Amino acid sequence: MSVQPYNEDQTDALQEVANIAMGQAGDSLARILDNFVTLSVPRIRQIAIHELVDTVTTMVGDEEEVSAVRQAFYNSLRGEAIVIFTQSGADELAELLGYDCELDAAIEQELLLEVGNLLVGAILSGISETLGTEVGFSAPSLMAERTPLYQVLAPDQLSWQHALLVEVNFSVEKHRFKSHLLMFMTEETIETLRSILDEFMDDF
Amino acid sequence: MAVPLTVVDDSRISRKMVIRALPPGWDVEITQAENGEEALTAYRAGKADVMFLDLTMPVMDGYEVLEHLQKESLNTFVVVISADIQPEAQERVKKLGAMAFIKKPVKTENIVAVLEEYGLI
Repeated sequence: MSVQPYNEDQTDALQEVANIAMGQAGDSLARILDNFVTLSVPRIRQIAIHELVDTVTTMVGDEEEVSAVRQAFYNSLRGEAIVIFTQSGADELAELLGYDCELDAAIEQELLLEVGNLLVGAILSGISETLGTEVGFSAPSLMAERTPLYQVLAPDQLSWQHALLVEVNFSVEKHRFKSHLLMFMTEETIETLRSILDEFMDDF
Repeated sequence: MAVPLTVVDDSRISRKMVIRALPPGWDVEITQAENGEEALTAYRAGKADVMFLDLTMPVMDGYEVLEHLQKESLNTFVVVISADIQPEAQERVKKLGAMAFIKKPVKTENIVAVLEEYGLI
């Protein structure tokens, strides 16, 4: 079954929800880093699974190995969120937090889990608070470390057909780190979110 | 007489949310701008005695708008409305001449509080 893409208004509304959410994530990150964080406008795209590897590769660059953190969400919206960090992004992040480049593997994992959790938590709370719906989420787990992207996003790794891709950019002073947040959802959830967005816009 | 108000935000839904949150009975003539450049154009056309300004925008962001206004000693009452809730963001925009900061999602009571504080309503 094919799913209609979100229309311009629905996408715009979702982007604004992401913007508010990233504002909260940025504030939390600034407190962790004890430094001012510059946020860019998050971009949202709806993609089908068969386009996923190509789309994300174009954004991330195909040279790079990536690490990924996954987290399930449930209640009125069901699916799984995956945050992808490039190795250079993870290194920048570590440097920002005051670690030397030679990172202990355990510290690096902890770092990725923490920041992944922050981003996913922010976006899910943003959706639930702004749109007035209930979303719960599980603890994050590490899905891949220093792995080529196509392996992380291999179709047999994923049980979903549809995804929303949110590109998130943070920078702190001269450090810049980019991460990509993918929200995989069931068809039913895509439709539930569509009606929530429509209802939200009807309020205006 | 209606106050010329420009609402600056790249998101249409966000401009709509701000406009819907304006206090009922506040007599304004609303202009919408999608980025900083459009905001300055609106200002120069006399359409922005009051400006509700978002920070993160493509083309020209809110910080740049404030810098322009400050450099050219332009006179408009700027309220920053942003999702960036870091205390330092608020300090920065105030240093750049913004009169107030309201966090997103914007609520009528927050707008009323600012307008009352400065005797605009």
